[in-house]
Amino acid sequence: MGDSQVQVVTICGSLRKASFNAALQRALPSLAPPGISIKPAPAWADIPIYNHDIQDAGWPAPVTAWADAIRAADGVIIVSPEYNWTIPGGLKNAIDWTSRMKNDPFKGKAVAIQSCAGGLLGGARMQYHLRQSLTSVEAVMLIRPEVFVTFAAKKFDEKTLELTDQPTKDMVKLQLEAFEKFVRKQTGKIAPAAQ
Amino acid sequence: MADVLTICGSLRKGSYNAILQRALPDLAPAGMRFSAAPSFASIPLYNADIQNTTGFPAEVNALADAIRAADGVIIISPEYNFSIPGGLKNAIDWVSRLQNQPFAGKPIALQSASPGPVGGARVQYDLRRAMVFLDAFTLNKPEIFVGGCASKFDEKTGELKDEATRNFIKQQLVAFAAFIGRIAGKA
Repeated sequence: MGDSQVQVVTICGSLRKASFNAALQRALPSLAPPGISIKPAPAWADIPIYNHDIQDAGWPAPVTAWADAIRAADGVIIVSPEYNWTIPGGLKNAIDWTSRMKNDPFKGKAVAIQSCAGGLLGGARMQYHLRQSLTSVEAVMLIRPEVFVTFAAKKFDEKTLELTDQPTKDMVKLQLEAFEKFVRKQTGKIAPAAQ
Repeated sequence: MADVLTICGSLRKGSYNAILQRALPDLAPAGMRFSAAPSFASIPLYNADIQNTTGFPAEVNALADAIRAADGVIIISPEYNFSIPGGLKNAIDWVSRLQNQPFAGKPIALQSASPGPVGGARVQYDLRRAMVFLDAFTLNKPEIFVGGCASKFDEKTGELKDEATRNFIKQQLVAFAAFIGRIAGKA
């Protein structure tokens, strides 16, 4: 496999240790087809609040590390909760920082979005706002299948936080399969079977 | 007297939105008193684990107290990547978790300055949505979009010099004063 494998980094929009979204992020490698390698991007927890005056003094190291990981990847999956009907401020702050880079890591990058939420919309409002912001940075977003994990508390094991709900697993698998094809189309990375 | 708190979405010293924020007292009708909100620059990125272990950071409480004490809030913000600046949204995310959530029932007005032609419309509509969730009352009209803003401020003094913009803002502030009175049941 090796070089022909699609390299994907995942970004979680929540910093909470017991986050359902972080649990979903952790579940992705086991649900992915063999053609995708998935690993988490460095945390954005230490990125300062965006201030152009700080940027003029030099890019903070956590911003550069985050951007480098995104640049090195063939694709990015963002797994995020919805805060107040939109994108978590901390996640948006990280995107605001990288958007100022000359070589914006999201430009032309294949991105898929997933969200878990306690309610029945499953984070839909966050996802469409994220699409709006990622349009501004010229990311190339997978359209379907969409992954909205509604009533998240029922879909993960209460103690281990393992994703236990089979329909959710199936839905995520379908997205990951579609994302592999999408990334290959964007990057021109040929699948092993076709080589 | 209506006490109005202003929150600027940019931390940059030379920010056009900060200039606009500073221009408001001059453009306001009698009976409006302005104060700038404490900065959100040192509010940590939201993490429920911080909230549940060490509690709400002092900067979050200070911002929330200032919002609670005000009769109305004006948010003046740039647009970042077609939406709300992450730092401003992070501050809103923090205060939204407080009991006695400070935006509930609060009159809000929005303004934005941006170099482009849209004048920050997208940040405003995204903020309106978040404010609906927070049960705030956002003034509908007049809207203030300061587009092509570089030409509307004096480059050296930073003063808002564009007369048409000044008049729009005056109209919004008059409308906001009445709106605050109506929501407070005073008018």
